[in-house]
Amino acid sequence: MTQDHIDAELFQAHVPNGRRWLLWLLYKVFWRTVFGLVIGLRYVRGAKTHPDGPVIYISNHNSHLDAMSLMTIVPSHRIHLTHSVAAQDFFGTSGFRKWSMQNLVNAVLISRTKDGRDVDPIKLLDAMLQAGHSLILFPEGTRGVPGLMADFKRGVGHLASRHPGIPVIPVYLDGLYRNLPKGRTMIVPFGGTLVLGEALYFKDESINEITDATQRAIEKMARDIKNENKLPHSKR
Amino acid sequence: MNKLIESWEMIAEIQWVIFIILCILVFSSTAWFIWHRLKPGKLVKELQVRTRSWWIMCACFILTTVAHPIITHVGLAFLSFALLREMYPLLKLDSRERNVVLLCYAVIPVQYTLAYLGMTTLFLAFIPVFMFVVIPFVLVTRGETEGIVRSISLMPYSLVAWVYGMSHLALLFQLPEIPGFTAGPQGLLLYLIFLVGINDVLQFAWGKTLGQHAVLPRVSPNKTWEGLIGGVLSTTLIAVSLRFLTPLEPWQAALTGCCVAVAGFMGDAIASGMKRDIGIKNSGNAIPGHGGYLDRLDGFSAAAAPFFHLIYFFGVTSAG
Repeated sequence: MTQDHIDAELFQAHVPNGRRWLLWLLYKVFWRTVFGLVIGLRYVRGAKTHPDGPVIYISNHNSHLDAMSLMTIVPSHRIHLTHSVAAQDFFGTSGFRKWSMQNLVNAVLISRTKDGRDVDPIKLLDAMLQAGHSLILFPEGTRGVPGLMADFKRGVGHLASRHPGIPVIPVYLDGLYRNLPKGRTMIVPFGGTLVLGEALYFKDESINEITDATQRAIEKMARDIKNENKLPHSKR
Repeated sequence: MNKLIESWEMIAEIQWVIFIILCILVFSSTAWFIWHRLKPGKLVKELQVRTRSWWIMCACFILTTVAHPIITHVGLAFLSFALLREMYPLLKLDSRERNVVLLCYAVIPVQYTLAYLGMTTLFLAFIPVFMFVVIPFVLVTRGETEGIVRSISLMPYSLVAWVYGMSHLALLFQLPEIPGFTAGPQGLLLYLIFLVGINDVLQFAWGKTLGQHAVLPRVSPNKTWEGLIGGVLSTTLIAVSLRFLTPLEPWQAALTGCCVAVAGFMGDAIASGMKRDIGIKNSGNAIPGHGGYLDRLDGFSAAAAPFFHLIYFFGVTSAG
């Protein structure tokens, strides 16, 4: 594939110091406590250490809590450099939503449709990775049916193939959709599991290969965690 | 000055039991360490993980017990909450009954507040009388009747089993003054925690060493007659020797210990049956080596109410 020129001008890399502390308090203190004590989210971490520097987190997507839980596993010193990629048409509709997505979630809003956008989202995300920032992607594109994983969109393949040094970390989220399902506003604690996978490094795989490999990685984590607690020789 | 000595004595009894617990933990950790050095194996590895979890659980239990009663109440309420939260998704009470589940969670702080305020009559009636009607009614008001019999049975059951039972531990703080009894509610709480914990450990140990004949082969193949009888007998003995934490006579302590051991076993068996029906090994993964909250607390929640009533009968009613 042709390597497009990365336009660093597209992205202002500066994050205000105030927001950095706000994000740390919100995710490393507040949300970590809520997930640990109230929701009862179980964190399953791989044996390997978390790679330093920019990474791409990818995860299945069933609830608004997904982005919050992913922000709690980002290392403290990179929390202000990690951005969830969110849909402009959903989160950019009102001024308050836009403001809170930017300041409280540290999200970057991109347009899902081709018409009426002034910048190609892949180019913007490219520039962010180039500037040393991390991204949280939900390659299913939307909060789908709980328990069923939709086919991944190819955005993660595009990004990983253009930045071969940047690892892709697959994360499997199970059960958060029970705590806050689509269309509800009240969180009711029901527990859940967050599985942090091993970092995947890609060199010269094609876009489709990368997309498939990441999807397979998350599907394998889902299978493993489902079988882990099954009764052997169950009659049911 | 007299008062000071009295309060010191109260602490002394609790100090003793904490010292005993620490001795057991240190002894077993050392024993597994040496065993692991001499002959590494799967069993000893599992024992080490379990003992490590026991250290953490004992630390949490002891700290919340000896702290201010408010902290003890909050800690017990959290355990009830953790049990419900762990079981509701397994019992598939999640998608449609969200509001009623929230109501069940809200029952927990009310129940423990009633215990803290000493409103004993209302405490005893709140869940099995009032909530027993209110929760099914709220389920009915949703207007959907499909599968409602299941929810109507499960939700009051979950409250009685894991909130009502556990909350009797908080009611120990409301016992009237018993002459000659100095260890206080904290002592009684530690007594029960110790008995149920050691009962689980001893039934496991007797079952592993001597176990041949399963009690309930189709529910839980690991529970054997040898483990059950050995566990009940040794727990009874321990209950008598730790009698200094209670107002009980030796024979009363023996009966209490026996009841706690049998109730613990029954709670364990009920939980095993439920887990087998759902098709899972453990109710969760909160405690490494043990499983979820229910796997550890099934005995406590079954033994708590019988224990309270035995203490009340022997210490208050029959003592006149």
